[in-house]
Amino acid sequence: MVEHRPVLTALAHAVLILGVLAVAFPVWLAFVASTHPSTTFLSGLVPLWPGDHWRETYGQMFGTGISTSGAPPLGLMMGNSLIMALSIALGKIAISILSAFAIVFFRFPFRHLAFWLIFVTLMLPVEVRIVPTFKVVADLGMLNSYAGLAVPLIASATATFLFRQFFLTIPDELVEAARIDGAGPLKFFRDILLPLSRTNMAALFVILFIYGWNQYIWPLIVTTDERLYTVVMGIKRMVDVADAEPQWNYVMATATLAMLPPVLVVVAMQRLFVKGLIEQEK
Amino acid sequence: MAAIELETLGKVYPGGVEAVKGVDLAIGDGEFVVLVGPSGCGKSTILRMIAGLERVTHGEIRIGGARVNEREPAERDIAMVFQTYALYPHMSVRQNLAYGLRNRRMPKAEIARRIATAARILQLSDLLDRKPRALSGGQRQRVAMGRAIVREPAAFLFDEPLSNLDAKLRIHMRGEIKQLHRRLGTTSVYVTHDQLEAMTLADRLVVVNGGRIEQQGAPLDLYRHPATTFVAGFLGAPAMNLFDAAVEAGALRVGDAVLASAVAHPGGRVTAGLRPEALRLSPDAGGAFHLDYVEELGGARLLHGRIGGQAMVAQTAVEAPVAERMALATDPADLHLFDPATGRRLG
Repeated sequence: MVEHRPVLTALAHAVLILGVLAVAFPVWLAFVASTHPSTTFLSGLVPLWPGDHWRETYGQMFGTGISTSGAPPLGLMMGNSLIMALSIALGKIAISILSAFAIVFFRFPFRHLAFWLIFVTLMLPVEVRIVPTFKVVADLGMLNSYAGLAVPLIASATATFLFRQFFLTIPDELVEAARIDGAGPLKFFRDILLPLSRTNMAALFVILFIYGWNQYIWPLIVTTDERLYTVVMGIKRMVDVADAEPQWNYVMATATLAMLPPVLVVVAMQRLFVKGLIEQEK
Repeated sequence: MAAIELETLGKVYPGGVEAVKGVDLAIGDGEFVVLVGPSGCGKSTILRMIAGLERVTHGEIRIGGARVNEREPAERDIAMVFQTYALYPHMSVRQNLAYGLRNRRMPKAEIARRIATAARILQLSDLLDRKPRALSGGQRQRVAMGRAIVREPAAFLFDEPLSNLDAKLRIHMRGEIKQLHRRLGTTSVYVTHDQLEAMTLADRLVVVNGGRIEQQGAPLDLYRHPATTFVAGFLGAPAMNLFDAAVEAGALRVGDAVLASAVAHPGGRVTAGLRPEALRLSPDAGGAFHLDYVEELGGARLLHGRIGGQAMVAQTAVEAPVAERMALATDPADLHLFDPATGRRLG
């Protein structure tokens, strides 16, 4: 838009500010709640400014956890979430870049069938296939393990498809130049394809890390051991206390902290992320 | 350096399209051979078969006397310059030049020496640490040639390397390629659809049409004695006029007009070929040439018109008078006669 009408500019800003408020206000409230004693929220009055109780709340969350809610200390849960999210994100990238490599650059029988089979799995997320997947994981003895948390979520049609689309834009002549330069398939993959996919991998990492971090149902089902609880599960368990009011200050403190790693990942990789999604390196 | 021989070389694509139909071609050691033809004529396929990028359906390719049909491109001792340059975008110029050598496990000192030599020849020394995207089209083109030079291969293969450059740069790079060949003397096979580029670069010109070699020889020989109407119409700009005519008692007739006399031909229908610069025009109210429009070239002038209903282009000096009707004459020595049925040269 090249128009310069003050009214329109003000309107545009108003809409954007409204959007930001809609997203940011609940986050702010969560933070505020985590800094007041647990009784404040139960009174029915919601304060808008942080209180002075944050040291006790965060201290206890990091230290011992709250035993009454059956949640382990926060550090352990954050660690578990981190391991799961990283395994899922890195595993997905590794597997899908290799699948896309095979599908785009090699001629083998049933190549198209293979691609479409991968594509069809888009219609079968974990939530749909949860019972058979659980059976498989249980039979493989992977319940209550990091492998059980991450492996079933690693296969990714979306990432394969994204890499495929990117690989298709690589000119044939570049592949041929590499052949003449004596680069075999694996060398081509390592020396040319991987460096060129850098921004795409970064963009996918951001998306997939958040996807992995936010997993809820699957960890809930495959873990019964407290030492493997993830932070998203922990929040839910703290809310679900029997015969007592939830301790909202602890819940909100956990939620605030649980938000931090994804935010850090996005901030750190923001530039690569945008680049990977909108433009290809020429 | 080595000679390249193609023997009854053929390519049939899956689906049955026959792109190359039994091509025989012997390229001498150090020779600069240009394959020229319209798009889709099979010239690129021939080149890509020599490079090893397309599988050979039948026939044989020998480089330096050895059959290479089954060899991988990297094992054929050739280097190729692509139309889009195909530089590795994430590598600096130096890394681009070194990549093929590193893959051959060449010692570092030798790689550095070769890069330095190539960079000096191509004036790339100041650009070695830049990435391809920070280079202009001409510079990228030179890097692509540098990547071929450092290999010190038996032969260079050029696949329309100048098509992506603007006209001025194309002429400049054409000169550089020619100089480079004089300096290195490496056997070169060059594919282009630009007949001017082909004429200026070639030691030997090979005109390809419909998957076959139409004619080959020195550029001037082909220009002066085209063997077929296709070659006659393809080489030279503006293109040769090709028109239906008849020879009667030694006179070349188009309709009622006589264009030349004392033509050495027994008589009958022919396809006549005349280059625009071979036509002499003079204003004449009863002349056979009807002027349609004039194109100014600066140094000369092109008169587009019709004679007996057939299109005809004549090139004249800028000073020469122009009229709506003009008389037309030519020297029998400038006349090319072709069989109207087969398109082959007569006499």
